[in-house]
Amino acid sequence: MRFSAFLKTLPGWVVLLLWTVVVLLPLYALVISCFKSTAEIYADPLGLPPRWDAGNFANAWFTLNLGRNLVNSLIITVGAVIVTILVSAMAAYPLSRYDLKWGPWMLLLFLAGIMLPIRLASVELFNLVKALGLIDNLFGLVLVYIAVRIPFAVFIFANFMRTLPRELEEAARIDGAGEVRILFQVILPMVIPAVSIVAIFTSIAVWNDFFFPLIFIFSDENKTVPLSIAGFIGQYRTDWGTIFASLGISLAPVLAMYLILARQIREGIGTTGATK
Amino acid sequence: MARLGSRQRRLHLAAIGFILPALIIYALFVLYPLVVSLWGSFFQWRGLRQMGFIGLGNFARLFVFPNEARFTGAFWHNVAWFFGIMVFQDAVGLIFAYLLFWRKKFGLFLQSVFFFPAVLSPVIVGVLWRLLLAPNGLVEWLLNSAGLHEGRLTVLSDSTYALWVLMAIDAWNWMGLPVLIFAAAFRQISTEVFEAARIDGANTARILWSIALPLMIPAISSVTTLTFINAFNQFDIVYVMEGVQGEPNFATDLLVTFFYRLAFGSVGATGITDIGLALALGTVLFLIVTVGTILLLRAFDRATVRG
Repeated sequence: MRFSAFLKTLPGWVVLLLWTVVVLLPLYALVISCFKSTAEIYADPLGLPPRWDAGNFANAWFTLNLGRNLVNSLIITVGAVIVTILVSAMAAYPLSRYDLKWGPWMLLLFLAGIMLPIRLASVELFNLVKALGLIDNLFGLVLVYIAVRIPFAVFIFANFMRTLPRELEEAARIDGAGEVRILFQVILPMVIPAVSIVAIFTSIAVWNDFFFPLIFIFSDENKTVPLSIAGFIGQYRTDWGTIFASLGISLAPVLAMYLILARQIREGIGTTGATK
Repeated sequence: MARLGSRQRRLHLAAIGFILPALIIYALFVLYPLVVSLWGSFFQWRGLRQMGFIGLGNFARLFVFPNEARFTGAFWHNVAWFFGIMVFQDAVGLIFAYLLFWRKKFGLFLQSVFFFPAVLSPVIVGVLWRLLLAPNGLVEWLLNSAGLHEGRLTVLSDSTYALWVLMAIDAWNWMGLPVLIFAAAFRQISTEVFEAARIDGANTARILWSIALPLMIPAISSVTTLTFINAFNQFDIVYVMEGVQGEPNFATDLLVTFFYRLAFGSVGATGITDIGLALALGTVLFLIVTVGTILLLRAFDRATVRG
């Protein structure tokens, strides 16, 4: 009986196992190829490297200036995440909790940004950033990312804040607390899950973005990791070991973050995607 | 009009103060460029300088030689991309989510494994697969060892397969997203619904099709809408794997890669840009994405009411 029950679930397990292999095999090949020469990768793409030689990493690190690229990506991501959370939480508070006649329209204006294809406005965006003197400038990139990520953040914050009980800020108001204090000391601590969802998704989107650096960044010293890697494969297409090592280096911080936050990411997407 | 109480007025001012920072940044860097781009698509352009009003002149040029072939080609590639991802990523992801839903503990772990590629930059994914699919790469080695293929693997430079290969890589990249959304949706359905159907003798496929799916319309709606928006914004994977020309011979060219060439010139700084045409293409794409998204959401809304 038990065996036949197991047999019934077997096809399902095979399907799931197959996709697990499809996901993990390329990543495994990436990791071991970081330690091989190009000839060794050609000869035996799946075997363990003959020696664990870090030469490729050193090569990638110095020819690409990856250290600098990582710092740039980090500055942009942290800057964009902090400001996005701050201004979006501020905007979502009155839009979700005050009785404003124009509130729903303002909220709609923000939410429209979730679907607006901003890439198509990149010519005028380029002119604007240029007029502000922020071309090839990390600060200019941060401003663009904040603007692009505000709609999703406002959407999440407004959804979470709407569910809180009214008495929360009424009591604080009777105690004489100002609106700024109510937002930061009463409301925001109640929507920490929203803060973490916004922080996680904003940082993934900004860290991984390629389109805006491609348009706005020209000098090597201001390149982000994706821009640097994309340029690298064009120039050094035959040096596979070094390319794999550059992928390995840029993947490492993301993997580390994922191992820590996998559960939050899983639950965050579940709650935002499965309901309306 | 009744006078606002002083408390009401204070809240009103506070609201404006709270909203202003986000609104200024959003209006300046999203709404303003978008509106100016749409408006500019009705003008003639010389280089980066806006000349006289020409109505639909730029749009008309999209439909004549030599732009017509690029435009319609890219458009149908985007359409194929949407339907391809709907089948290979979203429908398959639904099946994965269903299988994972029945395997409680281990299911959650596998969900996280399946989602991992989605936190990687499409640039990293594109470069990785470009090497794996290149001649001498892992995929060629695997296929040759298994006897399924002989000699050099050249799918990325073969115009019959290239677009489908890129879609498959996009699906590999994002498979975790529909899996997570659908798995969460399955978990929201009460277990009694499934138990009752089982006792009535419905088989697994039947439970999925006629009982679970109608209850999951909101999730299907989000996944379809996201897939639609992403399909028509696709750029990174093509740029990294096939270049901004959509090699081989424009077989993987998409609307955004076409737009990029018109707006910023091709790689190698041939520098030939056509801003008027770029803006017209942008306006067309804007209409496709916004109208398409609204129609999709409304259709699903109606389905929810009926269901």
